[in-house]
Amino acid sequence: MLPYILLSPLVVFIGALSFVPTAVTTVEAFFRVMPLDPPTRFIGLGNFRALFADSAITTSWVNTAVYVVVGVVLSVVLGTAIAVALKRRFRMRGVILALVILPWALPAVVEAVIWSWIYNPTFGVMNSVLHSAHVIGGYHLWLGLDRWLTILLIEIVQVWQITPLSAIIILAALQSIPLDLYEAARVDGAGPVQSFWRISLPLIRPALAICTVEALVLSLNIFDQVYVLNGIAPLGSSVMLQTYVTAFQNLNFGGGYALSLLMTLATALLSMAALALLYRRAEAV
Amino acid sequence: MAAAGSSGRTARALTRVVAGPAGRALSGRPARALGRIVTIALILLWSLFPIYWALNTSLSTLSGADSAPAHYFPSPLVATSYRAVFGIGGAGYGISGQLGRSLLNSAIESGAAMILTVVIAIFAAYAFARLQFRFKRAIFASVLATLLLPAYATLIPLYRIMASLGLVNTYIAVVLVYVSGFLPLAIWILYNYFNSIPRELEEAAFVDGASPMRTLLRVVIPVARPGIAAAAIIAFLLGWAQFLFPLILTSDLSTQPVTVIVAALNQQRIVPFTLLMACGVLAAAVPGVLALVLNRYIVQGITAGSVK
Repeated sequence: MLPYILLSPLVVFIGALSFVPTAVTTVEAFFRVMPLDPPTRFIGLGNFRALFADSAITTSWVNTAVYVVVGVVLSVVLGTAIAVALKRRFRMRGVILALVILPWALPAVVEAVIWSWIYNPTFGVMNSVLHSAHVIGGYHLWLGLDRWLTILLIEIVQVWQITPLSAIIILAALQSIPLDLYEAARVDGAGPVQSFWRISLPLIRPALAICTVEALVLSLNIFDQVYVLNGIAPLGSSVMLQTYVTAFQNLNFGGGYALSLLMTLATALLSMAALALLYRRAEAV
Repeated sequence: MAAAGSSGRTARALTRVVAGPAGRALSGRPARALGRIVTIALILLWSLFPIYWALNTSLSTLSGADSAPAHYFPSPLVATSYRAVFGIGGAGYGISGQLGRSLLNSAIESGAAMILTVVIAIFAAYAFARLQFRFKRAIFASVLATLLLPAYATLIPLYRIMASLGLVNTYIAVVLVYVSGFLPLAIWILYNYFNSIPRELEEAAFVDGASPMRTLLRVVIPVARPGIAAAAIIAFLLGWAQFLFPLILTSDLSTQPVTVIVAALNQQRIVPFTLLMACGVLAAAVPGVLALVLNRYIVQGITAGSVK
């Protein structure tokens, strides 16, 4: 009996607040659900057809794809660079590691408000620095004009937050590599760059796979940074923002469910694909 | 001896530094050391500059902050923004009452979610790590599968469930939703930690006639304290950072956490950035200090929760 007693609170929580809601989303995606305009009735693929006809939503799909690519590439590359730099023991390393983790620990909304001030068109420090360095001739309005620049700058805010996650995971993987491998490579005349490509990289592949999946899921879900830095304008909108607008501002729950179901499936498929790809290669080496 | 040894090392290092530029040019150790220092400086600049910038602006006067080119240090350094946020003089834009109360809400919601998450996760993780029962693999796999379940899957139904129970705009709704979201990660961290504890400890307690429950409370939990701390701090930080769920589940200052209030102040477009940055610094202070002091547990939790 004991195991079931120990597990019962978990089962109640996960059952009632994860599995039941997921089932509701899956079923009601095929229903017309408008709380202010009943009745609720089955409409087959009606919600999905409406999604594909809505340009704000199709725009947000492409935007989210760009958020994901930028977020995964930047956070994994930067995380690897930071991990390599912090791999060897040196004085103050513990303190530096603690400071590097800081952006991960702070609320994304607060960080986005800080970055909106950094990007500010009239008094922002980014304008000030780039202007002093003669990179730009005059102050720019960075957000809301060019679609791809807006997405890149918003995703940088998320990358700033999630890179510590990659750095810590990759650092742990690097530290688990036996030092005699590097010693042997050095004796054979390999330089640090060669050691990185031939020894470190193949052996940290599982960690890279995990970082990729974490960054993938986080950027597929990007909301806070977009809400603060882009608002509900279609230009830089993400799917999560459109889901929020569809369900809680337009009060079209059915449309929100359909969008949610598509994104849940996309998240599952993409993360499994990333894991399968990266993990298999790791075993092959 | 020790002093002589270290002064000898210093002398050698000095020779190297002096000989560096003239002698072995860029291939020697000083060049590599310099490269490392530059790299570390760049990493710190990237990690800390936005935080410094928020502090800088929050401690500046309005005219000091609203300037082009920007001032890189507060000139003059003033605490007027913080005083205004707490309602001690100056134009506060009605922030004073809001910020204090929302910080309290954040503390209550993330604190309660942390405690519930950790207690439930300890029991469940112990059962998964040590006890044998039917459907164990299936239950464990389905709990871990929810780690990959995005917020999309549950967002709208959770709102409707809470609305139908009359729980919208209560602490209970917020805490329940947080706990259901944080449990899988906490269980994964604790499961791995329990598995790293040698079984001999518990077997000794069993031999002495202790029940599994007593063994958990008296033997396993005390030994697993670092793992429990890791799960707890990560749950608290995740709770403090939540925005989307409280945005839909709370509707006024009786329950709104500080993230919702900061976003709302930002959206008004009339609150000056000096005040916004002061609010941001105050909202980030609790998780920031916790992360700096307890970073050992965070690193442990993140690596335990991912590698394997």
